[in-house]
Amino acid sequence: MENIKIVIDGKEVEAIRDQSVLDVARENGIYIPALCYHPEVEASGGSCRVCLVEAHQNGRMRLVTSCNYPAREGLEIKTDTDLVRRIRKGVVELLLSRVPDSDVIRELATRDGIEDTRFFKDEGDNYRYKCIACSLCTLVCEEVVGVSAISMLNRGYEKEPGTPYHKASQACIGCGACAYACPTQAIAMTDEGALRKIWGREFSMVSCSVCGKPYIPEAQVDWIVKTTGKERSFFDKCPDHR
Amino acid sequence: MESRKLNSVDEFNEYRAKILNSHKGDYPVIYVCGGTPCLAKGSRAVAEAFRKEIEAQGLECRVELSLKITGCQGFCSKGPVVSFGDDIVYMEVKPKHVPEIIEKTVKRGEIIEALGYKDPATGKKAATFDGIPFYSHQKQLILGDLRKLDPFEIDDYIARGGYASLDRAFSMDPDAIIDTIEASGLRGRGGGGFPAGRKWRSCRNIETETRYVLCNGDEGDPGAFMDRSIMEGNPHAVIEGMIIGARAVGAHKGYAYIRDEYPLAVEAMKKAVVDATALGILGKNILGSGFDFEVKITRGGGAFVCGESSALMRSVEGKVGEPRAKYIRSVEKGLYEQPTVLNNVETWANVPLIINNGVQWYRQTGTDGSPGTKVFSLAGKVENTGLVEVPMGITIRELVEDIGGGVLGGKRFKAVQTGGPSGGCIPQSKMDLPIDFDSLTDAGSMMGSGGIIVMDEETCMVDVAKYFISFLVEESCGKCAPCRDGLPRMLRILTDITEGKGKEGDIEVLEELCDVLSYGALCGLGTSAPNPVLSTIRYFRDEYEAHIRDKRCPGHVCKSFITYRIDADACTGCTLCAKQCPQKCISGEKKQTHVIDQDKCIKCNVCREVCKFDAVRVE
Repeated sequence: MENIKIVIDGKEVEAIRDQSVLDVARENGIYIPALCYHPEVEASGGSCRVCLVEAHQNGRMRLVTSCNYPAREGLEIKTDTDLVRRIRKGVVELLLSRVPDSDVIRELATRDGIEDTRFFKDEGDNYRYKCIACSLCTLVCEEVVGVSAISMLNRGYEKEPGTPYHKASQACIGCGACAYACPTQAIAMTDEGALRKIWGREFSMVSCSVCGKPYIPEAQVDWIVKTTGKERSFFDKCPDHR
Repeated sequence: MESRKLNSVDEFNEYRAKILNSHKGDYPVIYVCGGTPCLAKGSRAVAEAFRKEIEAQGLECRVELSLKITGCQGFCSKGPVVSFGDDIVYMEVKPKHVPEIIEKTVKRGEIIEALGYKDPATGKKAATFDGIPFYSHQKQLILGDLRKLDPFEIDDYIARGGYASLDRAFSMDPDAIIDTIEASGLRGRGGGGFPAGRKWRSCRNIETETRYVLCNGDEGDPGAFMDRSIMEGNPHAVIEGMIIGARAVGAHKGYAYIRDEYPLAVEAMKKAVVDATALGILGKNILGSGFDFEVKITRGGGAFVCGESSALMRSVEGKVGEPRAKYIRSVEKGLYEQPTVLNNVETWANVPLIINNGVQWYRQTGTDGSPGTKVFSLAGKVENTGLVEVPMGITIRELVEDIGGGVLGGKRFKAVQTGGPSGGCIPQSKMDLPIDFDSLTDAGSMMGSGGIIVMDEETCMVDVAKYFISFLVEESCGKCAPCRDGLPRMLRILTDITEGKGKEGDIEVLEELCDVLSYGALCGLGTSAPNPVLSTIRYFRDEYEAHIRDKRCPGHVCKSFITYRIDADACTGCTLCAKQCPQKCISGEKKQTHVIDQDKCIKCNVCREVCKFDAVRVE
C-alpha cells in the first residue's frame, strides 16, 4: 500500500494508490452522490453514472465515475463544476423517468433542481417499481454471499435483476443481502412472523432461543454451516444474545 | 501438397519451392468470386459450369487450365464476378456465358466486351481491371490477393509469398518488430485509429508470464463487410499478422473472435488455423524458431457491443458480453486479467505487408497521420457497391464519384454516412474532405471500421438518425443509465419529429441528451451513440426544422408528411399499380387514369415501385 496525495476540489487529501476516488472523498467529508457502488463489493460501481466528477490528469480532463476511478499521484478531482452538474442532472433526470416512484431518485433530482422529468416515464408494461438495474444486488449475491441466485436478465432497456426465468430459485438462501444492498430499496422482502418472502419464495426463519425473535432463514444457516463449518448450535441465539 | 510439419525456415522454403514447381509455369487461371454476395448471386453454379465445360472439352482444350473459387473480388453489385489472368474481368456472369468465355477468352485470349462493365455515363463497356474506374482508382494492398487466392488452400497462400514474413520476424528482436510497426504509423482499422505499435509496446512492457493477442472479427456496423471479406478471402494473412504480433509482445495464445453470422468466415478461419498448425506454422516451436503460438476461433453471438474491447474479452471468457466499468486498459489487464493486444482483422492483415516490405514502402501510401490504405464497403444509393481499398487521404468525392460511379439513378447526392452507428453523416459541402482518421473525426463522424453508406436526395436525415438510434436501442447492453435509459428517450423524440409531433425545443433537448451520453456513458458504444444525431443536426438542421415547424419532410420519406398521387398525364392506365396495391385502394378503368384513395393508402410505395411510366408522384 502506497500512500499518496490527491487534490479534491482544491483541497489536498491523503489516499492510498488505486483507492476509489469516491472512498477518498467520503473519508474527507466531501459529498458526491452515488448509488450503485458498495465499498465491500469489488465489482460494483460504474453503472448508475451519478458519481461523475472531473478528473484532471497528465494535462487531460475527462468525466469519470469517482466510485471506480483509481487515485494516483498528481490526480486532481473537481466534483462541482458546470459540466459535472449539467451531465449529472441529465443522468438523474433519466433515472427519474425510469423510476418516478423512487424517493431516493426524487431526492437526488430535487437536489439538482429537477422538478419533474421532461421525458416519457416507464409506466404500464414497462413499470420498473424502483429498480435502476444497477446490478449491485446480483454482485452482492455472487461475490459476497456466493450463491448467485439472481443475475441480470435480458439486456438494454429490458435489463433487470431476477432469478432464472423468474422462477423460484433453489439457490436462494433468503439472506436478503440483495435487498439490504439495493440503493433504491427496490427489492421486495417481507418478514411476517417466522416466514420471510423474497424472490417468489418463502423461507422459514430460525428463532432466537433467548428472545424468541425469528432472525435468520434456515436455508441461510444451512449454507453457512456447509461453507464455513461453523457449529449449527451457534445459530440458536441471535447476535444480540450470543 | 502433402502436409507435414515443417521444422525450419529452410524446410518452409523448400516446401514453397515444391508448390511453385508443381504449378508448371504460368498457365491461365479462371478466378470465380466466392465472396458471400457473389455466392448469393449464383457464382457456385458458374464455377460448376466452368468445371463441367473444362472436363467436357478435355484434351481438346489447348491450354491447361485451373479454376479457383476465390475470396471477394470487390464488385459486389455486379456479381458474380469472374476474372481471367491478371487483366480480364467479367461481370454478372451466368452459366450460359461459360462456353463463350472458354472458347474466346481462354483459348484465343479475346476479350468479350459484352460481359464487361458498362459505364452508366458513356454506355461504353470495359472488361479489364485497368479499364474499369471501380478498379483502376483503387490501391489494393490487402484486397489484391483476395481475388486470386483460394482461401481454403494454404498452399495457394504460400505460393503467393504468404508466411514469408515469418522468417524476417523470427530473426528480429521483438522490440525491433514493435519499432517497425510503430514507425510504419499503422493505426487500428477497427474504428478508433489507435497506433498499433504503441498498443503492442504497452502490452510488452508489462511484467508477466501470460499475454494474449486477439483478433476482433465482430464487425457489426450495418452495411459493413470489409472484415468478413478479408476473413473469407484471405484468412492466412490475418493469422500471419497475429503470429508476428504475438512474437512481438510475447504472447503464446491468441483468439480470433468472429461473429457467428459470418459462417463462411468462421469456416475459412478455422480451416486456416488447422492447415497452418499441420504445417508447423502455428503451434509449438513454429518453424523451428523456438516460439510457440496457437490460435483459437471464438464465435460471437452477434451482439453489437461485443465489438467493444472489454465486452469482447468477457465474451471470449464465456461471460455475458458487457463492457467493463473499470478504468484499466486491456493492454494492462485484458483477457483473463492478463495484458492483451486486441486489433481488428484488417489491422492484422496489414502487419505482414509492413514486415515484408518495410516502413518506407508502407508509408508511400496514405497520409502522414494515417499511412497505408483503408478497405471500405461501399453501400447505399451508389451505382457501384462493393468492397474497395483506397489510399488514406483520398477524398469522399473520389470514392463516391470515381470508384462508386456516382449516385444511383443519376439522383442528387446528399450525404455519406461513415463509421456505422458510432459515426455520422457528412454532407455535400464536405465532399472534398480527405478520408483519414483525423479528418473524419473533426467533421463529427469517424472512420469506424469502414462502412460507407451513400445517401441521395430522397433520404430523410431525421429518419437516418432515427434508424441508427433504434439500432442502438436494441444493441445497448443496459449496464449504464445514460445509454440504457437515454437512447429510448432520444428515439421517442426523433420518432415524434418524423410523425409530425415534433415541437420547438426538441432539437435542443436532443443535443442535451447527446451530451449526457457522450460525457456520461460507460463504453464506446454509449459515448459515440450521439454521433448520428449530432452530425445530422449539425449539417441538416434545416431538415429537422422543416419537420418540426413546417410539418414537411424534405426527403419525402416520413409517411406522416407525404401523399401519393398519380399524374394524369403520365398514367397510361396499365392497371399494374391497382393490381399490386395491398390496400386495393387504387381505382380506374383500363387505359384510363388511375386514382389513389387517400383514406385507405398506407404509403407503402409499392405503386411507385411497379409503375413503368413514373406516373406515381410523392408530394
